[in-house]
Order: sequence, then C-alpha cells, then structure tokens
Amino acid sequence: MKFEVYLESPTGKTKHVVDLEKDGASYKVSLDGKPVDADVILAAPNAVSVILDGAVFEIHIARSLDGIYKLQAGPQEFQADVRDPRAWHGRKQGALEAEGRQQIIAPMPGKVIRLLVNVGDEVEVGQGLVVVEAMKMQNEIRSPKKGKVERLQAKEGQAVNAGDVLAWVD
Amino acid sequence: MFRKILIANRGEIAVRILRACREMGIPSVCVFSEVDRTSLHIRLADEAYLIGPAPSRESYLRIDKLIDVARRSGCDAIHPGYGFLAENPALPRACAEAGITFIGPSPETMEMMGSKTAGKQLARRADVPTVPGTDDPIENVEDAQALARVMGYPVLLKAVAGGGGKGMRVVASDESFSPAFRDASSEAFNAFGDSRVFLEKYLDSPRHIEIQILADSHGRVVSLGERECSIQRRHQKVIEEAPSTVVNPDLRRKMGDAAVRLARAGGYVNAGTVEFLVDANLNFYFLEVNTRLQVEHPVTEQVTGLDLVKLQIAIAAGHRLPFAWETITPRGHAMEVRLYAEDPDNNFFPCPGKIIARRIATGPGIRLDEGVYRGWTVPIEYDPLLSKLIAWGNSREETISRLRRALDEYTITGIRTNVSLFRRILGEPEFLRGEIHTKWLDYLLAYAQPPAMEARPGTEAAAAIAAAYWESIQPGNSGGGQISGSEPSRWKLEGRRSQLDRQP
Repeated sequence: MKFEVYLESPTGKTKHVVDLEKDGASYKVSLDGKPVDADVILAAPNAVSVILDGAVFEIHIARSLDGIYKLQAGPQEFQADVRDPRAWHGRKQGALEAEGRQQIIAPMPGKVIRLLVNVGDEVEVGQGLVVVEAMKMQNEIRSPKKGKVERLQAKEGQAVNAGDVLAWVD
Repeated sequence: MFRKILIANRGEIAVRILRACREMGIPSVCVFSEVDRTSLHIRLADEAYLIGPAPSRESYLRIDKLIDVARRSGCDAIHPGYGFLAENPALPRACAEAGITFIGPSPETMEMMGSKTAGKQLARRADVPTVPGTDDPIENVEDAQALARVMGYPVLLKAVAGGGGKGMRVVASDESFSPAFRDASSEAFNAFGDSRVFLEKYLDSPRHIEIQILADSHGRVVSLGERECSIQRRHQKVIEEAPSTVVNPDLRRKMGDAAVRLARAGGYVNAGTVEFLVDANLNFYFLEVNTRLQVEHPVTEQVTGLDLVKLQIAIAAGHRLPFAWETITPRGHAMEVRLYAEDPDNNFFPCPGKIIARRIATGPGIRLDEGVYRGWTVPIEYDPLLSKLIAWGNSREETISRLRRALDEYTITGIRTNVSLFRRILGEPEFLRGEIHTKWLDYLLAYAQPPAMEARPGTEAAAAIAAAYWESIQPGNSGGGQISGSEPSRWKLEGRRSQLDRQP
C-alpha cells in the first residue's frame, strides 16, 4: 500500500511517499521510492516501533480532532496527514492548511465567559477572540491568522466541549 | 493506633496517603465527587463514598459531608492531604467536635502560623529573621534613611496602597534615597491618591528554600533539612530538590534551628514546612509556614529515607518521634518535577482529556507518585497535576541525568503535558550550575529562545513510516493490526474476514 505522508514539525514541512508491502508477518518498506531496511510493528496501544537501519524509534500516535495524526518521537513532535493516493475521496478535510478559512476550536471543555470580537471584525494573528474558563483558569483563544471574523458560534455563558467550533476566521 | 482513616482528598495525594495506610495495616476510606468515580484513588480504595457533584465546594470542601462519612464508616482519624481543606482550621474544629483525630496541627496553631502577618509576628518573637522593614508608613525621610543605612542597601520603597509596581522604587545607594523617596511618594499619590510608602529590604534574585519539620505531641521538634524550590512559574513551584546547592552544613543547621524555634513558639505538632527567602549573601528571611504536608515532600523522603505520611499518622496517634538527631544530613540528592496536563507551547493552557496511551518511567532512582492511568479522562474541574516524577542519586549530576532519562521514557499520548519544559530546564547551563532564583524561570520563558532541538538522524523517516503504517492498520484499511508476538487466533481472523465480506 502506498501512502503520501505530509509531515509538519517546528522545523518545517516535508512530504514523503511510503510504500508498505506485506511480506509474511512483516513488511517490505520503501521510502520515497527507495527500499529501506525497516521493521515496523505495533508495540503497544498507540505505540509504533520502527527499527530503521538498526536504529530503534518508538513513535506514539494519536488522532487529533481534525483527523491529523499527532506523533511523538522522543522529544520530537510531528503532525502527519496521511493520504492514500488511490482513495478517490482525496485528501482529508482541513488538512495542514495554514492559509484559508480557519475554524477556531475549543481546545478543552469549559465555559465561554467573554467574547472579545464581533462578527465582521478584522483581527491580527494572535489576537484574542474568545475567553474560555476551564479548571478555574481563564484562557484566551487566539486567532491563528490575520483576517475577518466570519462567524461567531460561541455565546457568553455557554458550556463548550473540546473540539466545538467557537468561530470562523477568513 | 487508629482504627480507620478517612482520606479527605483526591488525586495523587489521596493515593499516596492510601498507600501509607495500607503499609501500616490501617484500613482507609476514600471519598469522591461525581466525576471521580473512576479515579485511581477510588480504584485502589478499600471503601469509598460519594460526597457530591464535581465542583469542589459541593464535594471535597464540604466538611459536614466528610464528617458524616467518617462517622458512618467508623473512622477515628482524618488525613486532609494538601490543598482543599488542609489549611482550613474549620476542619480540625469539626473533627474535635465529632471526636475524630485530625492528622495535622491544632486549629489554633493553624490560625496563628498560617496567616502571613501573625506568622511574621511569631517569627520576630522566636528570633527568626524576617525581611527587614517598617511595619508602618514612613513619617519622615531622615528617619527612614537612617533605617535604610542600618538595613543596608539595596532597599525597596513600596506604596501603602500599592500594586502593579506603581509607587515602587529600588534604592541602591544612600545618595539616591531622598530623590527615590520623592519619586515613589508622588507616583503613589498620582496613582492611588495616597502618598504613604513603606520601607523594606530589597532582596535581589532571592531563592525559595524551605525547611521540613516534624513535631510530636511530647515537645520534640526536629528539622529534616531543606528543599530548594526556586524554580517557579508565576509563583508556582515546578521543580524542587534537596539538598540546595547553596546550603552548607552550617546554614542548614541555622535554618533548621530557626524553623524549630518557630515551631516551638507556635506549639506546632505534626509535619510542617517553614518557607524562607535566601539572598545572594545567604541571609535567610522567614516567609510563611505551611501547616500541612507539601506537594514536594517526596524529595525530603528520598534524601532522609523517612516516610512522612506514616510519621504524620504516628504523631497524630500520640507516638514519639523515633529518632535521636536534631538536624539531619541529607543523603545523596533528590529532585522532583511536576507533570501537568497543560500545553507549554500555548502559554501553559490546561489540557485535560483522555489518556489514550502511556509508557511510564521506571528503573534505578526513579519514583512516580501519581493518580492517573491509561484510559482515564483527566477531569477539568481540578488541578491538572498528573504525576510527580522524582529522581534520586548520589550526586546532583547523577540525579539530573536520571531525571532526564526518565522524562525520555515517560510518554503520555492523548493529552499535552509540560514535559518539554523540564527537558529544557534540565539542559540550561545556569540551572545545572545551580544559579537560580524565584524569577529565573519566568525570565527564561519571557526572554530566552528555546534552544534548537537536535533531531536524531532518521527520526523523520521513522515518523513517516510509522504514520503510514498506523494509517494502514486503521479499521477500513487492509493490513495487520495485531500487537506483535501474539499469534492471532485463526477463528478470529476467519470471523473478521467474513464480517468484511458482508460489507457492500
């Protein structure tokens, strides 16, 4: 099976093509068109163990709210958007797009205690949009981009769950 | 000894107390709020009772409910842990009325020593140094300047009505005293309509060092040495260690003696902590007393070999302290980091949620005190402390390398933690040299760029392969998903295959 893997880390974005071919109990792995000496297994729940040219890596994987995988490889973190080029549903929604319309999502369950902007306001990157209280702490949810507040889903006093859309910025 | 002990707390400290009770052979009773039914302290408990809804004021802070549970379940003692009701004198009062022993100091001692002003007065009476300064506003410049000379520069002028740094001046030398006084007064008047100012000794980059004491009900008070807690983020301790890099045996004895004098003066019984600020010249000044067990107590346990919770219980039961020394010499070095469910890349935003997977740290010199497990959802209602990771070793260097190693082993998937903060601190040259103070971490986070991480060669390729593999084993993709080593049952495979065949 061939996959396109779009990796994002603090140091940048890269794209790799990974081909996994079943070979008995294990896989033949090729990376970006070249066969590599890699052994890959699921070592524990959400923990993939990769031995690459003898070097051992344990990668812990969880799915984030927008369908992107969050990977931890020791101290390093990646986000990965994996696409199957054969799948005709194409790319997943909202994948790795830094530009374009942004959903502002509640990162945790809590209560909306204040709206800092109105619909139609022009906002800067990092400008506070909504204040959510959780664990007795007030947290400002900031805009990830410069743009215009298109919709405000959140209402003052409303309880929200992690993943709820609070606003849209375009 | 007690028949049964009620643990009036939750989270890691409830687990800690429960373990001490079990080791002593004393049955214990746990309490829980509606969101804590699945918490680890309840899973481990012998007996547990629901005490109300999630908000702590309707559950863990309800003295009436706690006393009621204690009565119904036949408890003759209550351990408050830390936080919640641990420093509220109303709990020991209610215990006394109900004929239950409170494992901690008396309510009178709590009131006298727990309050900052009363504590400071007590310290003066016990000849324990406090931050020098005037208790009353300055009447005239000449007297104040004379006092400043006695105290020694630098001094701090502080507006009586102060706040936000307004009307505050650091005075470095005698010549600048009167202009600084004028500026501070007029600034205070403009800002607050009140020109009065105080005078206080200015402590430049002080350390926070505290002394653990134990006092039995027979008049015996001992010091268990210090803990260095200068690594703080916005006044919250994040790393604690013992011994402190600046405390030598002589200073340890002096600080220990001061703490013991203070405890004696206040008639203190049980475990307590006397907090001090220590300046660059190693002068120490009393800050406050914590009339309870501290979060960071394991650090002292590791360098003394004592179990503080068991000693607390024994003291409350009227036992004598079982050792002969007055001041202890710490053995080796211990350090604790507080792992929180919070996002260090997003201003330490709390990040509760479900712990999907976890790999814990074990091995030589590692202790993990915690109240979490895989599959548990960290509730949003309480302090997001997950685990206290404690390392100890022969030297500070060995302890730090063990802690680093353990932080690499410890992985939590599903929620964000502040583990990267500790990786960073434990690599900072100033921290490694022990050149720290209470504002050190705040400055580091505000002004210093995090050092670029050197990736291990191959990490990115391995991550790409792992991501592709993970995608391939998701339901709906063909691929093996078994944990290696366990041969899948052919019956199961056949069953799965026929299920798949049925899909349109």
